[in-house]
Amino acid sequence: MAAADRRYLWMSGVAAGLVVSVVAAVWHRDPLHQDLMVALTSPSLRFPLGTDHLGRDVFARLFHGLPRSVGIATAAVAAAAFFGTSAGLIAAASNRLVAGALMRLTDLALAFPGLLLAMVLAGLMGGGTMPVLLGISLAQWPQFARMTRTIAATVMTEAHIEASRLAGLAEWRILLRQVMPRVLTQTMALATLGVGGAVLTISSLGFLGLGLQPPTPEWGAMITELLPYMDVAPIQIAAPCIALFLTVLVCMAAGRRLAEAR
Amino acid sequence: MQRAVRHAIPRAVFRRVLEAIAVALILATICFALVHAIPGDMALRIAVSRLGVENTSPAAVEQIREAEMLSRPLIAQYGDWLRAVATGDIGRSFVSGRPVAEELLGASGYTLRLAAMAWLLSYAFALPLGIAAGLAPNGALDRATALAAAALSSLPTFMIGIALISVFVLSLDWLPPAGYRRTEHLVLPATTLALGLVAPSVRIIRNAVVEVQDATYMTYARIRGFGRIKAFVRHGLRNASIPIVTFAALQFAYLMDGFLIVETLFNYPGIGDAMVKALLARDVPVVMGCALLIGTSYAVISLLADIICMALDPRLVDEGHGSR
Repeated sequence: MAAADRRYLWMSGVAAGLVVSVVAAVWHRDPLHQDLMVALTSPSLRFPLGTDHLGRDVFARLFHGLPRSVGIATAAVAAAAFFGTSAGLIAAASNRLVAGALMRLTDLALAFPGLLLAMVLAGLMGGGTMPVLLGISLAQWPQFARMTRTIAATVMTEAHIEASRLAGLAEWRILLRQVMPRVLTQTMALATLGVGGAVLTISSLGFLGLGLQPPTPEWGAMITELLPYMDVAPIQIAAPCIALFLTVLVCMAAGRRLAEAR
Repeated sequence: MQRAVRHAIPRAVFRRVLEAIAVALILATICFALVHAIPGDMALRIAVSRLGVENTSPAAVEQIREAEMLSRPLIAQYGDWLRAVATGDIGRSFVSGRPVAEELLGASGYTLRLAAMAWLLSYAFALPLGIAAGLAPNGALDRATALAAAALSSLPTFMIGIALISVFVLSLDWLPPAGYRRTEHLVLPATTLALGLVAPSVRIIRNAVVEVQDATYMTYARIRGFGRIKAFVRHGLRNASIPIVTFAALQFAYLMDGFLIVETLFNYPGIGDAMVKALLARDVPVVMGCALLIGTSYAVISLLADIICMALDPRLVDEGHGSR
């Protein structure tokens, strides 16, 4: 217990430090301000992580990018989790025809590679927040539906559900009050993993130039923009790379821990 | 009993084939819907991408609307589209004016070469590592691969590629950076894809091996006096290979995502590169062609994986689906 407490203390310390940095960055620095006189300078007191090819502050761009990427990822996964879980619960509770149709739809949606879907949507709709969000949600909901359906189907066969039904409770009430809590812990785990995956997708889209459009500070796009200057600006490229890696790693580790905890 | 099973195999296969066709059909429909859901006048978009903004005149737009038959009712265009897809003639590129099928045929050859190389490389790494880790669960190697796999799967593909470029091209100058002329050009893109594939497959192989080792038939084989290796080769391998084959098909989905990134990063002339370029140029026929090609080949590959699984384990035939 003590070890876990210390770990949480440590983790919340890191989180608090991050929040303070983000607030400070947002408060003080303009991620879009260009100054060609200081283009591609090395890290200094004025620019903690140096500047990019247009003389923009990499530190400011990095920390403006964090809440944007994580925010879009969270929103997209929340939408996917909501619709996926609903579809799974409905499939578990309804007759064979509806359940069959819903699960066929899930299978079909699962058959398409995720990045492809997000990419086609974002690419054809011209990039920007909404297409990216929509693409990620569309790619992720079937996993939630499949998982919810599997868990709910086993819960529905248990004796206490039968008892509730005999007691005259409505079907929707049984679903919401007795089945859903059992599903939610696993949904949370899958959603946390999903946020990590979504952050990866957002940065991959940005890397390809199909995601959030410049000059929006976004990690993948930052990496692409600086790629031609790799030999003169290694730190400016490494910074978003490391930030991206750590963000995804944290999501994946947390998701895995949640899935094991039950 | 024996006879019933023999009849059941074609039926289960037939059902899976129908499913794959349904996937392709729905994919074609989604492609069509997407094209027509984009805001803006399609004829104008084509005109701008072909002629450039300065040279686009209303007359030119009308001419393109006639030539591409864009003024016909949607349902007729949908019918045309399905017929075109069935015959493999999916129109001409807005940008180059060449038939899409012709452009993609050339590109898919390059992509297949890259895929084969990446797949082989990844299994060359993953099979020995996964089996060794699975034969000694919680050993040093097992924990090391678990850690490495967790780290590697948190890395976006393009970062693996950038790291490889900065080491082998910029620092050591051993390999050419981009393009495709000689076989050396395959090395870096294939390694990038393979490293991304290795992370999950080592864990899958390891878990499959561990599960088989715990099975009662393995204990029985050991009791009968087989050594660990011999028991595994005789009884474990076939059982362990089912989740591995299923996963190999899923890997194709990962590879597809990977191609889009890796081919762009290394400027490799495959399907992924063609698709990203087409998306950036709003070259809709090529985008649709790529999406169709990728989607249907994914459906075909998971179909093949299911059939292989049914052959490996006839019990799956009764349940009607191979994977899962």
